[in-house]
Amino acid sequence: MEGLFWLVCTIAVYWGAKRLYRRVPKVYLTPLLVTPVLIIALIEIGGVSFDTYDSGSGYLTKLVEPATIALAVTLYKHLDVLKKNAVAICSGVICGAVVSIVTSVEMSHLFGLGTAITDSLAPRSATTPIAIAVSRSIGGVPTITAVATMITGLLGLVMGPYLVKWFNIRSSVARGVLFGTSAHSAGISKALEYDAVSGSVAGIAMMLTAFITLAVAPWLMSWI
Amino acid sequence: MKKLLKTILQIIAFIGIAQISDVIVQWAHLPISGSIVGIAITFALLQLKVIRVEWLESGSKWLIGEMLLFFIPAIVGIINYRSLVLHSGLWITITIICSTIAVMLCAGLVVQRLGRRNKEVVS
Repeated sequence: MEGLFWLVCTIAVYWGAKRLYRRVPKVYLTPLLVTPVLIIALIEIGGVSFDTYDSGSGYLTKLVEPATIALAVTLYKHLDVLKKNAVAICSGVICGAVVSIVTSVEMSHLFGLGTAITDSLAPRSATTPIAIAVSRSIGGVPTITAVATMITGLLGLVMGPYLVKWFNIRSSVARGVLFGTSAHSAGISKALEYDAVSGSVAGIAMMLTAFITLAVAPWLMSWI
Repeated sequence: MKKLLKTILQIIAFIGIAQISDVIVQWAHLPISGSIVGIAITFALLQLKVIRVEWLESGSKWLIGEMLLFFIPAIVGIINYRSLVLHSGLWITITIICSTIAVMLCAGLVVQRLGRRNKEVVS
């Protein structure tokens, strides 16, 4: 019963945050940032455990997969754009996925984060289920990877629009690859705010990133 | 009203595809996630004209449009990692910020550069 309350509460806060964002579209007011902050505050005030919260709200998490699968429709509708830009998209994703692993590992070493954390951070650009699978295979801690992947999505969503503006990324295809490669599903939702082509390219980029991370990460990790 | 019912039925269809995909992944011990299998199945069905795009369109639009909501509980889950956040949170965040910027610039600029040369086509 309490779980149900938190489910309704999450939806209500999200709905409010979304309306606020529509009226004041500032990056720091993105619902993905505002909603968790408010919910965490409510949980802390109410002295509720995460398990209680998740017993109801967890139903929302179960919709991530159907929503990701729904991208197949977008993909189908924009197939021609993807075919015509296949080489550019693949090149961008391969560069991005490799850079993601290398920079994560190098910086973790630099900051003296332990091996377990380093290995957990390496696959974080991939979509959560893939990132967790890779993390497990290279010796990371799946829970740290899950959190790091979420933070990556959140930060990608917040920083992406600034990079698009500052570096003058005008092509829809480039924007899609930028968001899909770096910030998985969260990136897709941001890419969709630009246009439908960006969104479907981001979907493709997310899938390719997942495959490449899966294939390359274990091999790359033994080199760096 | 009819449109609402249609959207709800389509969302249920996507949930069904997700469940079937998960079963396939478990049964065949695939090293990929159920969502990727699901995308492949749905895409193949559309491409082979087994199903029409109108049968899934409004459900797909709603699910994708509200995707952010589905991530909220996972982010709230960070409260279970208080000590990790206190100990290494700052450095982990800095690593993620720098690495994400590098990935975005690399991916975005490579595509933009290649696209310009090949006269990128955007419908």
